[in-house]
Amino acid sequence: MNAITVLIISLIGIGVGYFLYAKTIDRSIIRPDGSKITPAKMFMDGVDFTPANRNVLFGYQFKSVAALGPIVGPIVAVRWGWLPALLWIILGTMFIGWVQDYGSIMVGVREEGQTFGALSFRLISRRARTILLLFIYAYLLLLMAAFGKIVGFDLMTNPAVPLGVLLVMALGMAAGHMTYKLKMDILVTTGIIVVLSFVGIWLGTLGTVKSLFVAINGGATSPILFGSVTWAQFLWSLVVLVLCYLGATLPIWRWAQPINYVAFWIVFLGIVGGTIGLVLWHPSIPADFPALSSIDGKLGDLSALGPLWPLLFVTIACGAISGWHSLVSSSGTSRQLELETDALYVGGGSMFLEMFLAVLSLLCATVGVGYDKYVALVGKGANAGVFANGLATFLSQIGVPVSFGLPYGAVFLTLMALTIMYLCVRFMRVASAEFLGDAIPVIRNTVVGTIVALALSAIMIWTGFWSYVWILFGGSNQLMASLALLIVSLWLKSKGKNYLWAFLPFIFMFITSIAALLTTAYQVIGANLKGGLPIDKVVGNWIAGGLAIFLSLAALVLAWDAIRALARPAEAPKTAQA
Amino acid sequence: MLADPPRLSKWCETLRKCGRALRDIFYGMTTYEMVRDLRKERARLEHLFVLITMGDLLGIPILPPYYSLRLLPYVVPCIEGWRCCLLRERDLTDLTDFET
Repeated sequence: MNAITVLIISLIGIGVGYFLYAKTIDRSIIRPDGSKITPAKMFMDGVDFTPANRNVLFGYQFKSVAALGPIVGPIVAVRWGWLPALLWIILGTMFIGWVQDYGSIMVGVREEGQTFGALSFRLISRRARTILLLFIYAYLLLLMAAFGKIVGFDLMTNPAVPLGVLLVMALGMAAGHMTYKLKMDILVTTGIIVVLSFVGIWLGTLGTVKSLFVAINGGATSPILFGSVTWAQFLWSLVVLVLCYLGATLPIWRWAQPINYVAFWIVFLGIVGGTIGLVLWHPSIPADFPALSSIDGKLGDLSALGPLWPLLFVTIACGAISGWHSLVSSSGTSRQLELETDALYVGGGSMFLEMFLAVLSLLCATVGVGYDKYVALVGKGANAGVFANGLATFLSQIGVPVSFGLPYGAVFLTLMALTIMYLCVRFMRVASAEFLGDAIPVIRNTVVGTIVALALSAIMIWTGFWSYVWILFGGSNQLMASLALLIVSLWLKSKGKNYLWAFLPFIFMFITSIAALLTTAYQVIGANLKGGLPIDKVVGNWIAGGLAIFLSLAALVLAWDAIRALARPAEAPKTAQA
Repeated sequence: MLADPPRLSKWCETLRKCGRALRDIFYGMTTYEMVRDLRKERARLEHLFVLITMGDLLGIPILPPYYSLRLLPYVVPCIEGWRCCLLRERDLTDLTDFET
């Protein structure tokens, strides 16, 4: 099949999903009313509650939801073959993904801007709120581990990459200084900093620079430091954690915000350039890349990942449905919506656009890299390297040399991961202070709270297998999504509306996510019991297995409470007072 | 052949609208977050100032009322937002923004 045909099928999916299904649900069930006052207007404080134009909010929502998930998920999932991955991306978004994003926004809008913590307390039970918050903490820890492993173990160990990443960070800080302290025009600042960032990435590709980083890595084959972790992996994951520490503790304008701003341009230009390159090239998916490899995800010499159901459905999270979106939608977007009628455009529209990003990533792995190279890269554990290679191939079609495109793709992914990781550490710090602050007052200290969050992340990064961690992250992410769908269903039921369009996706996602977590727990604990693994993997597998069981049990308790809540009678419709 | 002027102006208007929408989407993806953060920073400082000067509203006598009264005309515009912000029940999921 030609890549352009795949893109056209995706566009048809967007058309059918958005203009037929989503609009019908919007008009016939939710019935948004443009004349109703939204929380953004009702509680306008100029801070959290501020009405924003629908297009501005669309850009904000898309940028907040599109991170590493829609890129890495499809790359891993093509191990089951590209067809099931493509079908899940398109159908998942059409019937589940947008439902969650849009539903989360609408619940927030109709419930005075309340977030999921408060809603679970009100709609389900007191303990539901505590479980949900513990759940979010564990989910973010897995996110830190999955992203930290990609960046520290896979991307930064490439000697052509670190200089580019570090220079972009430094230039981001310079951008913050130029904007806030020197009061320079934002367009001038952007122009200077983005050009210098590209120069920085190019400098990293020079022979002398690469030799320097090879020496820092301890030679071409980095020595083992402990377990199966090499010196280079340890060093660069430590650097990533230090960057996260700075992102979580420095004033936002000094570090996280300007770096994210510069990172946006690097990522945006990469996506635009890659898409143009792909369209100009319009290759076919190689015949040797199987549409369906095997039901257990065994591709070529690569080891089997596990059964297609449930694992494929959690491996691709963000490109089809993701719990992260519900957090962004309920705590951010719903409080800035100017009109109720904008909710579908903002929530649903950005989800469908993210689906397009996931399809591009899938094409990166299949047509950009090809079967042999894909198997070779994944066999070496360079999952993220697949995307960098694919993007470099696409960019080479518009004249960008592969020697530059390759580190550029790696810097692109690193920046995408880091922008989310800062945020996770910030949340974990606040959450630990809230949970443990009374019992252990020292945890309220910013430095201590951040170091605890980073120490837990470090243990997860330095132990265990990446593929299991990724599936666990996906499983917890999808479980989070299913819990969001549950809250939406409960809310619809409490209002006496048809809730099946959210409840059926909840049932599918809930069963799938629990099955995926338990399958992974079985795999990792089974691998430990067989023996023969290095000590770091043994520790990592026990942690992963324990987390998977904890998340499953927590979700089951939450679901039990929710089913009891579902059995409660719906609110009586309000009658007009005489 | 020359295009029909009303139709041409309609096209121009549509193009202008698309341009505006694109500009807004870009603003949302780029500097909107910065603007929000700056607003939050300003609000935090303003709320602290209102608390110091108008603490009496919450039963916290911080400044002698004379100075509070002198400052009152400058503080009045902030009081409504301050009250909204202060009285709103917050959950843990409120405390950190999930925006990148």
